[in-house]
Amino acid sequence: MPEIETSATHDERPRRRLWRRRASVDEPGGASGAWYPRWYWPSFVAPGSLWLALLFLLPFYVVFSVAFGTVDFENFGAPVPYYAPWWWSFDTFNETLSKFYEGTAIYRPPLFRTFAYVFSATVICLVVGYTVAYFAARSATKYKGLILILLISPLWISYLMRIYAWQGLLDTDGPINLLLRPLGFGETNWLEGMHVTVILGLVYGYIPFMILPIYASLDRIQESLLEAGRDLGASGRQTFWRVTLPLSRPAILAGIVIVTLPMFGDYYTNDLLGSTKTSMFGNLISTQREQQGGSTRMASLVLILAVIVLVPMLYYLRETKRAAEQA
Amino acid sequence: MIGRHPMENRWSRRQFLGRAAGGAVAMPSLAAILAACSKPGENAGGSGSGSASTEIPIATLENPVELPVTMDTIAADTPIESGPLVLYNWADYIHKKVVAEFEEEYGVDVEITTYNNMEEGIQKVANGQVTPDVFVPTVGYLRRLVQKDLLMPLQQELIPNMLASVWPSYSDPGPYYDLGWNYSVPYTIYTWGVAYRRDRVSDEDLAAQGWEALWNPEYAGAISLYDSYGDTIAVAILRNGSLDVNTGDPALIDAAKVAILETINDHEARLTINGVYAKLPAGDFTVAEAWSGDIVGAQWYLPRGTGTDVLGYWRPEPGQTMIGNDTLVVPAEAQRPRLAHEFINFMLDEQHGTDNFVNWNGYQPPFVSIQPDSLIDQGVVPENLSDAVVTEEMFADDLTPIELSPEVEAMWLDAWTEIKAGA
Repeated sequence: MPEIETSATHDERPRRRLWRRRASVDEPGGASGAWYPRWYWPSFVAPGSLWLALLFLLPFYVVFSVAFGTVDFENFGAPVPYYAPWWWSFDTFNETLSKFYEGTAIYRPPLFRTFAYVFSATVICLVVGYTVAYFAARSATKYKGLILILLISPLWISYLMRIYAWQGLLDTDGPINLLLRPLGFGETNWLEGMHVTVILGLVYGYIPFMILPIYASLDRIQESLLEAGRDLGASGRQTFWRVTLPLSRPAILAGIVIVTLPMFGDYYTNDLLGSTKTSMFGNLISTQREQQGGSTRMASLVLILAVIVLVPMLYYLRETKRAAEQA
Repeated sequence: MIGRHPMENRWSRRQFLGRAAGGAVAMPSLAAILAACSKPGENAGGSGSGSASTEIPIATLENPVELPVTMDTIAADTPIESGPLVLYNWADYIHKKVVAEFEEEYGVDVEITTYNNMEEGIQKVANGQVTPDVFVPTVGYLRRLVQKDLLMPLQQELIPNMLASVWPSYSDPGPYYDLGWNYSVPYTIYTWGVAYRRDRVSDEDLAAQGWEALWNPEYAGAISLYDSYGDTIAVAILRNGSLDVNTGDPALIDAAKVAILETINDHEARLTINGVYAKLPAGDFTVAEAWSGDIVGAQWYLPRGTGTDVLGYWRPEPGQTMIGNDTLVVPAEAQRPRLAHEFINFMLDEQHGTDNFVNWNGYQPPFVSIQPDSLIDQGVVPENLSDAVVTEEMFADDLTPIELSPEVEAMWLDAWTEIKAGA
């Protein structure tokens, strides 16, 4: 007897544990079956809700309070947040907003630049990223692991270090110009505030986050679906357009959202690879941070940016909801 | 029975976690409620909330200010604390070897924490994120630091080197911003000028151009301006022919802004912080707006095999440029005030201060013993950088950037925001 029992516990340990836990949960309900207190299932949401409230809603409210507050110049321009909504003053916010359209509209060029850069960088990320992800998931069965490791390995080195490397590569006397010299572009000042350089920096920085979700989704598409497509007479290209691509659509949307949102707030790529001529929205915010009394304007800009990125976010939520309904 | 014990344990831990989380939520919201109850406009933009009863006026050369002493100095016989001494300083602004000598002499550690711009440094001291024993502010912030009771008055008996080494004018009557040196001692002195590569521009050529060199299309792509609104706007005002470097005139500020945008957009001028001491010696720039100390320090950054004679510094005629100094102070919250006094006295020692200046930092202390001629004769400062040496007479003639009033400061910042937005 004892011998059998020990071997059984050893083998079935996971299952027995599960059973025990379930039994203990069932106990309060007695013999009539499972009984849970009213708070039991909702309580599972509590940690997440607490997290959101503490680290998102509360700080976001503070941003509102700073934006609609004032600053104390005698206290070195420290913010004086107005926490009570009835004290809120919209002067700084309105002034900040007006700089997008009134007079010389000094905030408009960085805004337009941001849209142009983010759009171009996202398109490049998508085209290049999809191709790489497709290759990794479909064609490269043997080297799949290697390709994945190669994709992820740059993330082990600090972004700052990698951009410093680009600074060296793109230097006027650097290797890139050396390679381009035979083509006649050898004298390009890549780091003197060129749009191309900043877009390249953005693509470089964010493309892994486009590849990974697309790869995960392509890798999960069942072979049988593609075979069915071919069986029903579709060519390879048609199978791609009518089976693979629609199935990877949610991953494409997720990838776009994951790369687009941080790009809108990016400022260090331009700080390191561009100049004031390529200032983005994030640079407007970081400039205010370095200035005495800039916190109110900084918070106003953060709110304006939040509204801007809310639009693609809402579109994404609507699309994923629709996809979930169709499934 | 065996099952109950861990259950109980878990419950108590959960209760504990719950209470801790509740406390974390309650504290900020309590603060928020309290803040919401008081009228927020009260301490906004008005007088400071420090205990100094009267508002200290902004100091100017014409109206020098004696900063009021509102708290006691430490007793002269306070025992020297054991370390570590916390020094809050600009990045790359003190010679590590001199710090090591202090550590050895006093048997303490020195922790150096750095800031990249004054706004960051001041904010962190003001809200207590950093509690240094010695801090290195620019003079424009001293008034408000004292107004907010953030500085400790100095026990002058513990700093005999102030009288032994430093120009007498710094102790009697004392500098315009701190008559009687109640709170500060001078750390370094410097002027504003143009640094250049002598292997690309001749001395005569640059002297003929002056500030205009920073607007010369010939050096397109190799022009550096400081990424610092106070300095660069003031230099653009000088370039535009005015000497009003603390101006509140919108037309002058606007003209300076237009000029800066012009050299950025048309001549690819760059806004940098290390342009003079690191990138000019590396050959990235040909001309640069410069603090004199940066170009003296630049000789330590030259590539191997490049002589110091490639570096040049042009200083305008007396009275046509700005001059200034940084200070050493002891914050009111300093944990080791006596050790801080010892450190200040140590840095004002002729040998240590000079070592800090000539062997790495490049920024000169206002010492009686430092004579421009002997510096050049001894080869400490290359002859081609003789203009970078600061003399006491320069302070009589040159322009002094002072603390700007909030209204004027806002105008300067608006102009700078536009420059940084790349309009």
